[in-house]
Amino acid sequence: MADQRNLSVEEILSTCRAADGGGGAADVASTPEPAPVSEKPAGKPKAAAGDAKKMSVEEMLAAARGDAVASASSERASDEPSVPTEQPAAVAAKSPGEMSVAEMLAAARGGASKEKPKPAAKSPVAKKPTAKKPAAEKKEVSGPKDTTSILAMARKERKPGPISKAEAASQGQGVTSKRKMPEMPERPAYVQPAAPAANEDRRTFFGSFFGAFLGSSLAVGFSSLAVTNVLWVLGGARFMFPNILTEPPTVFKVGFSGDYALGQVQAKFKAQFGVWVVKADYEGVSQVYALKSVCTHLGCTPNWLEGEQKFKCPCHGSGFYKDGVNFEGPAPRPLERYAIRVADDGQLEVDKSRTFQQELGQWSDVASFVAS
Amino acid sequence: MHGHNPAFYETLSSFLGGYYLSLAAMNGVAACYLWVSGRGRRLFGVPTYLLWLFSALAFTIVSPLAASGDPALIPGLSQGFRNVLDAIFNPVVYSVGSLVLVFGMFFARRFFVNPTVAWIVLNSAFVFMGLSMTDPDFFEIVKKPDNVPIVGMVYLLGFFTWVGASQAVKNDDRRRQGLGPLEAEDQEKVLVWPDLVYTEMICMIGLMALLIVWAILLQAPLEEPASSVKTPNPSKAPWYFLGLQEMLVYFDPWMAGVVLPSMVVFGLMAVPFIDFNKAGNGYYTIDERKFAYMTFQFGFLVLWVTLIVMGTFLRGPNWNFFGLYETWDPHKVAALNNVDLSEIVWIEMLGMERPRPAPDDGLLVGWSKILLRESPGIILVVLYLAVLPPALVLYSKFFRGMFVRMGFLRYMLLTNLLLFMMMLPIKMVCRWTFNLKYIIAIPEYLTNF
Repeated sequence: MADQRNLSVEEILSTCRAADGGGGAADVASTPEPAPVSEKPAGKPKAAAGDAKKMSVEEMLAAARGDAVASASSERASDEPSVPTEQPAAVAAKSPGEMSVAEMLAAARGGASKEKPKPAAKSPVAKKPTAKKPAAEKKEVSGPKDTTSILAMARKERKPGPISKAEAASQGQGVTSKRKMPEMPERPAYVQPAAPAANEDRRTFFGSFFGAFLGSSLAVGFSSLAVTNVLWVLGGARFMFPNILTEPPTVFKVGFSGDYALGQVQAKFKAQFGVWVVKADYEGVSQVYALKSVCTHLGCTPNWLEGEQKFKCPCHGSGFYKDGVNFEGPAPRPLERYAIRVADDGQLEVDKSRTFQQELGQWSDVASFVAS
Repeated sequence: MHGHNPAFYETLSSFLGGYYLSLAAMNGVAACYLWVSGRGRRLFGVPTYLLWLFSALAFTIVSPLAASGDPALIPGLSQGFRNVLDAIFNPVVYSVGSLVLVFGMFFARRFFVNPTVAWIVLNSAFVFMGLSMTDPDFFEIVKKPDNVPIVGMVYLLGFFTWVGASQAVKNDDRRRQGLGPLEAEDQEKVLVWPDLVYTEMICMIGLMALLIVWAILLQAPLEEPASSVKTPNPSKAPWYFLGLQEMLVYFDPWMAGVVLPSMVVFGLMAVPFIDFNKAGNGYYTIDERKFAYMTFQFGFLVLWVTLIVMGTFLRGPNWNFFGLYETWDPHKVAALNNVDLSEIVWIEMLGMERPRPAPDDGLLVGWSKILLRESPGIILVVLYLAVLPPALVLYSKFFRGMFVRMGFLRYMLLTNLLLFMMMLPIKMVCRWTFNLKYIIAIPEYLTNF
């Protein structure tokens, strides 16, 4: 102890605290100068001078913490000295510098949990901002949050937290409100169902009718809304049947058969009616037929190319012969024919309401061509 | 044909002058950047910034020549060269060529991601565009307001593909050295406010400005009122659907318009279930995911983008195929006599009539005749979709490993999606070489395949 003046302030403080706490904890010994406290400096007297400055901050903190625990437990020990309190105190007093941080924390927690919060707050432990300790305290105080306890609760078939009425009922604990509910007041006279009218004549009927639809501002509002909607629907329905139809008729005349030369494709009806009238040989028979100007691939409108003698679609390049049979591009089937006949006045008449498909063998139908 | 149309050359020169000038500026900025930053490389011993500086000077000299409006001074392609290019350009060359190009770029990716090479390719592409524009037919297509975004898209896509490949090659090199990907290094978090929100706002304003300028400079291409009986010739889909329109040439509308697009959508939705390989999550790589990378590039670049380019530049009136510099003649005669597979087999190979349902046949007899007629196609399709995948397991080591890892269902799903993807180029080539229309054709019930 000769070189004690070379010790740092922390060292001196810690030594003092250790002496104080150790003395308190080791009340059994009841000696102001207990041997264990002075053990450390005494144990390494030569190294003390050199080591004093080399002590790291962690070591000092640990030392201080060890003291704090010791002093805190000493308060309790002084109240009721018992065997279990001796242990942490003894551990702390034994060698504060050699204890690991974990051990100290454990010791501190053990001490804190056993104690009332009041002395803990007073004790120097509270001043040290150790993050783990409050967490540990909280863990102890609040309800079961860790996995094992939640699992245990679940095994008991009970969830943590609030439960619904049905669950409470199933568990046999009915929802019993401890609050006393006020009595329901008597229903006033104006909400009592009116007694049925004794005599229902026409006047009361109309009265109730108008009352329902026009009796209040709300009823008037909804009634007018309904009427407006009905009018709109009716107006929309009328819109579907215009007075003047600008669409070309589906049945129309395309002139006399004699007007057509053999091999001619009349394209002048395409723009208005979407039809080519063709007079040509089909399977060795000269006939007049009306081809629908809609590509069988995807519905574009092909063009008649006089130079190449074919119908050619601009969208994907499908090509059709003069008789409407597909031969190039992706079109899967021939063009369709419209119904055609000789009308009473001798003119050819095309009816767009009927179509004839070659792949279904319908071109042999006499309605699909006019022999010439 | 358009020979010396003064109006054409006036429009052309007013554009080309600025075009070459901006190319000069682009190269000048690149040279300046490389010189100042000292990041330039050397090409055959010459520092690259000198190369770009000379390119900038050359473009600066070309710019007033192009702006002069004199056909003799504007640099262009010779008529002979254009004719040769038109002659060798046909659908087979184009579709197979784009496929070969994508695979070639994949195998030589280390060469192409080199910044010097990429810059040379970019400059060449711009120069090629500038030279091609002196052709009136080509200029007619390029200057159309509808097609401007497509030209832009081609360059943008080239850039983005290059960025992706370049990052991937860097990461692959790092992996070989035992390092993590570049993306793992850069874990810095950026604040949403203000960093992200400000960036977004600036991008938004910039994009708005660009769109406004674009809308003012290029008028919306309005046409005559629509008519149900008159279809424009050529009639082209919106640019993003040109791939679908091209697909419609080779397939039945029901297949190309409904089934295959749905398969694209649902196939993409199925990708997370098919592809459970975690390699490449969150970073660029090619070496670790060669198959996935090439499947994507094949589906996107070959089956989608090149078809858009084809629909824009190479499809003319009557949906005929035209060369880049060919005049769009609506009366071009192209031999496109297409036949179904059943015709090839029954008539050409067996030399007999095809079984044909008579009108008075019952439903059962009619159907069996149809099925007999289409049996070659049906057998082929079943072989292709159901027998080929298991055969691949037996004979291909790669697919065997895949089958073992994926299990039967997932493997069949994957291979069938792949086979459907492959069907488009196969049918295209079949169409252009054998004039094959449909493998299975049942027009009686609107079913064609």
